[in-house]
Amino acid sequence: MSAPRLNTDRLVEVGVQAEIAHPSHSGTYSVDSYGRPIILPGMAGVVANARVGDLVFPWAADHLEPGVSAGNSQRDRYQALQFLACIGNVVRVLNGPAAGAEGRVTGKHAFVLVDFPQDALDVLAPGDALLVRAVGQGLRFVDFDDVAARSCSPALVEGMGLEARDDGRLRVQVTAEVPAFMMGAGLGMSSEWANCDVMFTRREVVERLGFGDVRLGDVVAMHDQDHRYGRGYRAGMLAFGVVAHGGYGGVPGHGMGVATIFSGPRQRFEIVRSPDANLRNHLDLAD
Amino acid sequence: MATATINDTELLRTALVGDVTSPVLGINPYDVSADGVPFVSVGAGGVCYTVRVGSAADGWAADQVEPGASIANPDAAANEALLLHACVGNRVTVRTGTAAGARGVVTGKHEAFHAYKHVLVHLAPDVLDGLVPGDRLLVHASGRGMTVDGLPELACHSLGPELWEAWAPERAGEQLRLRVTRVLAPEVVGMGSGRVSGATSIALQAGADEALHGLRIGDIVAVRDWDATYYTGYHEDRVTVGVVSTGDSPVLGNGPATTILLSGPAAALDFEIDATANLADLLELA
Repeated sequence: MSAPRLNTDRLVEVGVQAEIAHPSHSGTYSVDSYGRPIILPGMAGVVANARVGDLVFPWAADHLEPGVSAGNSQRDRYQALQFLACIGNVVRVLNGPAAGAEGRVTGKHAFVLVDFPQDALDVLAPGDALLVRAVGQGLRFVDFDDVAARSCSPALVEGMGLEARDDGRLRVQVTAEVPAFMMGAGLGMSSEWANCDVMFTRREVVERLGFGDVRLGDVVAMHDQDHRYGRGYRAGMLAFGVVAHGGYGGVPGHGMGVATIFSGPRQRFEIVRSPDANLRNHLDLAD
Repeated sequence: MATATINDTELLRTALVGDVTSPVLGINPYDVSADGVPFVSVGAGGVCYTVRVGSAADGWAADQVEPGASIANPDAAANEALLLHACVGNRVTVRTGTAAGARGVVTGKHEAFHAYKHVLVHLAPDVLDGLVPGDRLLVHASGRGMTVDGLPELACHSLGPELWEAWAPERAGEQLRLRVTRVLAPEVVGMGSGRVSGATSIALQAGADEALHGLRIGDIVAVRDWDATYYTGYHEDRVTVGVVSTGDSPVLGNGPATTILLSGPAAALDFEIDATANLADLLELA
């Protein structure tokens, strides 16, 4: 076995402008899966006390985006940021008291999600300027033509310890495997855009399906999911992703967000369960 | 068994308007199919002369083709109200243009993420021939607020009293007995999870359930383990019933857009499989 060959030397790295987005609100209540009106934090801005590596669920939050949520107020630049930023990319703070701090892209949702060291998270504010060193769009597994990489940086592939087996399969470590019937909001969208929600909006379902120990940043497998050209159900296909957003929040049809990193036929993969399959380890994130 | 009843004397009839839309495309016109093949999307927006309620849902060179006339209010907030209040079966009157005075019927709703929200209207072929984008249609909206007598746990959405009467659900003890063309597995639902139940559609993904074979636009279908009380999402032991409003899609995670009629506990709903449980038959659409 060896590391899978990539076309890393052909990839272009570009600087993409971003800024920490400010939370916004509709001015009214949403409704959770128990029929209760809710107003819960989680999306946009800076979440300083929930980070990649922490448990997904035990938070009073909806669409909890750990760390920093990076966006761009210009629509076309925002789209470029969404499609060019890849998980594992390096991000630098350009102004404010945390200027110079370095973080890593750890997920995607309505924003690009970035983990920074705790001392930076404590002082970062909406509006602070960021630069994403975007590289990964165009990434290919040279010996796996039928496996499509999506929002996946070469650094992530290396950090994950993927292995190309002699029998032509890719060995992938995951913490959990998601059944197709749980896939919700995010199906039908582009593979690179935001993520796809696993419909964990009720605690009893999290417990029944055994997902209580899943952590933000975990690598998970999604069964019967084809995420090569968009996202949808397809028997015999597999998609892999990283847990990008969490919280017990609860608008039905939403839940734990998983950002796609690659997808291909089931027979091209060997799934290995490992509790250590988390971005905190894979990207060696700073405390 | 007895015919089930609703709070029909409590329901308001209100006037909302929508204009006939025209198709929209980006500067780059290509979408990408599930197999990675680029294509130009055809079928949503404007007037469709070819595909009608009762037609097959698949087999068209199109992406979620909207049968008949597709309308929307040009004011975004007014369009939200149109989408919430127009119900399947409601009568429609053409107000402007050469087809003014013609009558039609609301047959469904169709939402494309971050793009458009349309109400779909059936009109006779000779009326469609005279209809143009911009013509104003009046929807005689009724149904929002509907409850089923004795079954308060059922949530009704986009279900007009006209369709209720034609569908004629029956009451058997503590259950409502509904005619549907098929009962589907929860993994058929693609794009549309997490949406506001009353205003929108959910897509049925091709290949996720063999029971989708032979699906027609206008078919009433049930989805197991799916709730649409407030928003659309997975919920074991609940069932959601909808009506197929558009054709199929080549895009992953998409498929025929299905408008939600009602949702409730599985224990409160019983289904009779009936191939004629289609709007074309029930509402006698010409």
